Order: sequence, then structure tokens, then C-alpha cells
Amino acid sequence: MKATQHPKTSALLFGVVLFQALTLQAGNVREELAGSKFSLVHEVYANNNWELFVTSADGKSSANITNTPDVNELYPQASPDGAKICFLVDSGKGRATVRSLWVMNSDGTGRKKVADRARQQCWAPDSQTIAFLPQEYPKFNVTDYYTKGISFHHLPSGKTREHVNTKPLHHLYNISYAPNGKWIVATVHAGMGYRHTNLLIEANGSKVINLGIDGCRPTFSPDGKHIAWGAGDHELAVVPIDIESDNPKLGKKIFQVFDKQNKIYHVDWSPDGRFLSFSRGPNGKGDITKPGTYEAACEIVGVHAKGWDIFAVKVAMGGSVTIGHKPVYDWQVLTRNGNSNKESDWFLPPSK
Amino acid sequence: MTLQKFTGALGLLALGLANGCGPTQSSPAKPQSVTTASGVSMIVIPAGSFQMGSDEHEADERPRHEVRLSTFLMDQFEVTHDLFVKAQLPNPSRWQDDSRKPVERVRWREAKLYCNERSLMEGLTPCYDETKPGLPCDFVANGYRLPTEAEWEYAASAGSSRLYSFGDVTKLKANGWFADNAGKRTHVAGTRKPNAWGLHDLYGNVSEWCQDVYDPDYYKSSPADDPLGPADGIADTKRVMKGGSWKASASMCRASFRKGQRTGDTDACFFTDYCGFRCVRRVTAAEVESLLGKSPPEK
Repeated sequence: MKATQHPKTSALLFGVVLFQALTLQAGNVREELAGSKFSLVHEVYANNNWELFVTSADGKSSANITNTPDVNELYPQASPDGAKICFLVDSGKGRATVRSLWVMNSDGTGRKKVADRARQQCWAPDSQTIAFLPQEYPKFNVTDYYTKGISFHHLPSGKTREHVNTKPLHHLYNISYAPNGKWIVATVHAGMGYRHTNLLIEANGSKVINLGIDGCRPTFSPDGKHIAWGAGDHELAVVPIDIESDNPKLGKKIFQVFDKQNKIYHVDWSPDGRFLSFSRGPNGKGDITKPGTYEAACEIVGVHAKGWDIFAVKVAMGGSVTIGHKPVYDWQVLTRNGNSNKESDWFLPPSK
Repeated sequence: MTLQKFTGALGLLALGLANGCGPTQSSPAKPQSVTTASGVSMIVIPAGSFQMGSDEHEADERPRHEVRLSTFLMDQFEVTHDLFVKAQLPNPSRWQDDSRKPVERVRWREAKLYCNERSLMEGLTPCYDETKPGLPCDFVANGYRLPTEAEWEYAASAGSSRLYSFGDVTKLKANGWFADNAGKRTHVAGTRKPNAWGLHDLYGNVSEWCQDVYDPDYYKSSPADDPLGPADGIADTKRVMKGGSWKASASMCRASFRKGQRTGDTDACFFTDYCGFRCVRRVTAAEVESLLGKSPPEK
């Protein structure tokens, strides 16, 4: 007898197949992260000051690697080889605050100051050079684009130099080096003739290319073939890019993360390019009564972000993930205390 | 005292201030201009009373009611890029082609921080407490702050009871930059005619932040003497903006027009490219008399 299917049964089967397909595409991120050797370094506001914590990729273990009750550490960036972490330190109060750039081993030992009045640094692919954004004026301001120029510090020689085209570089923030060392991607706000956009800046030249995308905080994938960025307060996105070209252009969005209620910011790639981490939490302007913090949007460096935690998703090309929906196998929460967990950066800790 | 008087006929205004009274809507005064220690032109706004609001326009402008104000100083121009940068603040403006233009895309909080920076530059006591959430305002402090809504409208009216202090809407193009003549952009401050008290760009160019919480029903219970607006309630409540802007209709440039504007304080990127401001500073009649007494002889 020839089998016939009831329309409702067909619809149900189709739904199951679609459900399984989506499941396979997104993957069970929790299971995959449980077997990962990667860690994430990130900010936490703990015991009335900013500290840096290293959390395992599955979120099951976390350790304070700074433990400095009197020093505020922020914005950690792990070197591509995983050996070192550069970070910011805020000293002083109010407009007299000095934000400085430091570096240490990724286990928290060997701290060393690199520069004062420096911001939003990133590593060059050689893991020996740190690019950073000098502060616009001597007086402190918590604004993210309060910068002028780009500088580079070479750790082995201890020398700092300016970008060859540093003079017109104005109001940049959140720089990220391309893995080929050719480009730096950054957001610009009210500077260089732009209202607000994201730019490709030649690392050793004067070429500047407007990527023509809104949002902020772009970051290269480890293979340099994609950029992830915050396309809005409630959306992270991934697009392809050809960085070997002399005039790189972006493709269309191929992966998105949404959160309809909370803000999602500070996206970063895992070293194998398979996962994205980000910060997630409610809108707000901080809690200025907490020492070492400032009043501004919660996503800004140095602003206490109550209820913010670190999340991870698997990059499923062609798909999207919505945080907060059920079932919940396509995203993972890595911190759960809500203590202003922000600015996560993945790395593979060197084997001991 | 850190102010230096430099221009303006004294006339009856100075006498009125010295006697603790000032002009009302029926007796507009001559402008009095001073230059502050940091080089900013301000106008002495005389104490007096006026009819605030309108019974004939938007619901939130009702009822028209009498307000009495103490003497204060108000910036003659909107705060420009030059002034913002002089205070070592990051200029957020969309149009950066001329530093004499008014700053825009300014969050309410950033406007207050500018006020404090200018106070500190001139050795005055800042009005805004930067150690407390929301930067509460000390109206007694002698530093700079944002104008109250009543101060702004009183200054814009300049002794007139008309919709625009200079006359009817047909004269707006000569007196302000708004949607019909601005060409979809801001313009250098002070390039339209001043009002009767010497203040420029109160009508158009950029809308101006006021200190007050925006409450559409506030006029129904507003006190008559130096009203400060509703008490701060919700953390990120809307604030009053006045004056219209380069993208506003003529009606939005009326002196009594009110707009409730989100502060932008919780936005990492604030793209509202018509939000600017100017500063005020409360002074006593005796202080003004002293200022005028220190003025150099007129040429």
C-alpha cells in the first residue's frame, strides 16, 4: 500500500527537519566550548574596583589575574601568541584621572607600563608590537573617541613611534589589526571629516578607506577573511572582506547575533575563528558612586555596567542567533554574576 | 569678580538693576554685554517678569502664566566648537567645517560638563556635582549651568509678548537659521540678527538644552518665582529643549515652543545633530552693579 501523509503530518515533519538543520548549523555551542582549550580575559568590577579575570571557554572556571584592590585594570587584549596581555590602568579621579597602557604575561606576572594617556590598544600580528590611541587632550574624559593619532610601541626595543600618517587620524576608537599586518580597522566619530563610520587605515601608509557601515568596534577574524562588529545596540554582524586587495570592500552580512532587549557589545573572535564572544546587559549610564567608574553609556570603557555578562556563540555562516530565545543550545553564558563583565578577548594560554 | 565689562549702553537698565527691579515685557531694555575671564561674551539679563507659555498653540505650552526671574547672565551666542575644544572636551559635532559654528550632537550630560569646565577655567564654583549620579545642579553656586526653561524663554522674548520677539514669522529668516533658510546644516554663530537684548540664534541654528525635566503638564503647577522645573525623577528622563534648529519649522522656533528630548546619556553614539546649548550664570543685582562699575569708559 502506498503510504500517504496527512498535510499536518507533513508540516510537522518539515518542521522537525528544519529544526534539526538549524540545530546542526548553529551547533551545540555548549558542548563544543566544553572541550575547548581557549580562555577569555575580561574586565570585572569586583570588590569596588576593576580587575581582569581569565575565564575558561565553557565558563566553568574563572580566576582573578590582577588582584589589585587599589588599581583599576581595564580593556585587556591578549597577544596573538597568547603569551601576553596588554591592558589599561586608570589612576586618579575625575578629570585628573590618567589612563595608561600596561603589559604583562598572560598569567598576570611581569607588569610593565608602556604609555600614559593611551587608549584602546590592540596587538600587531607579531605579538611584539602594541598599537594604541593617544588621548586627545591631557584632561581625562571617558568618551570613547577622545583620541588623536595612532602610536605603536615595540616591546623588545621599548621604543614608541607614531603612525606615519598620524596627524589627520582623529577621534578613532577600538582599533583592530588585520592578521596580514597591512590594515588597521577602527571606528571614527566626528573626526577626519566623517560623521560616524568604520575605517580601514593602512598600518604603514596613508590610505584610509571608508567601509561605509554604521555601528562600531570592528574586529578582524583570525584568518583576516571576515570582520565582526556591533551593527547596532542590539545586533552583532559578520561580513567577508578581502584584505589582500589594495582597496578592500565588504561583502554582505553572513552571520548576525540579535538581542531584542539587552545591549550586545565588544565582539571578539576565538583564535580558531569558530566562536564569537561579547558582552550583554541592560541599558544604563553606570553607577558613579562606585569608585573608579564614570557616568556614560554602559558599553563605554570605565563605566560600571550592572547586570552585564560575557556570552559566546558559534559562528554559523548564513545564519543568526537570537540571545534569550529558547531552545538555548546556540549560545552560552560564560559569566553569571552580572558584575560588569565586559571587553572579553579570547586567547590560547601558552602550555606550561 | 572675574568678569570684565566691555560694551553696551547702561541707560535705564543699570538703574533698574541697582534698584532690584528690571524691565518687564512692556519695557524692553538695552542690551548689556560683558566678556568673561575666559573670553566669552554674555548678556546681562535683567530681573523682571513675563508671560510664559501660550494658550493658543501646543497643549504643553498651556496655561500661559506669569513668571518672575532674578538677574542672570546668558551667553550671547550658542557654545561653539572653539569654546568646546578650549575646555578640552571631544567635539561631537556632525559639521566640523567651521569652528565658529555651534556644537551639536551634544548629550545633556556633556553640556553640563562643559559648564563645569568653564566655571573651573574662571575660578568659579561649578554648579554640577560630578561625584553624584546625574550631576545634580547647585543653583546657588556661582558657576555656569544650563538655563532653566523659564530663563531661556524670558531671554528669547526680550521684553516682547509676541511669538517671536522681533515680530511676525515673516522676519524669521533674518533672525534665525531654520528649515526654510538653513540649507540643512548649521551656520556660524551670530550670523543672523540678535534679539532686542543682543542675544543671537535663540531662534534656530541648534536647539538648546535647558536644565528642566520635561513635563508636559508642568505649567499647571509651576511656581511663579524662578521656576526650576519638575524634580528629577526617573534616571534618564527627557529634558526640555528650546528654540528650534536648522531643521525645525518656523512654529518650532517660537519662544514658547517646548520639546522633550532624550538626554542621550545612555547612548554610546549620539547622532541627534540639532542638540546644542548655551550657558547662564546667576548674579545678584549688586554683583551686576559691581561689574558695571568696573567697566572701562565707553568709547
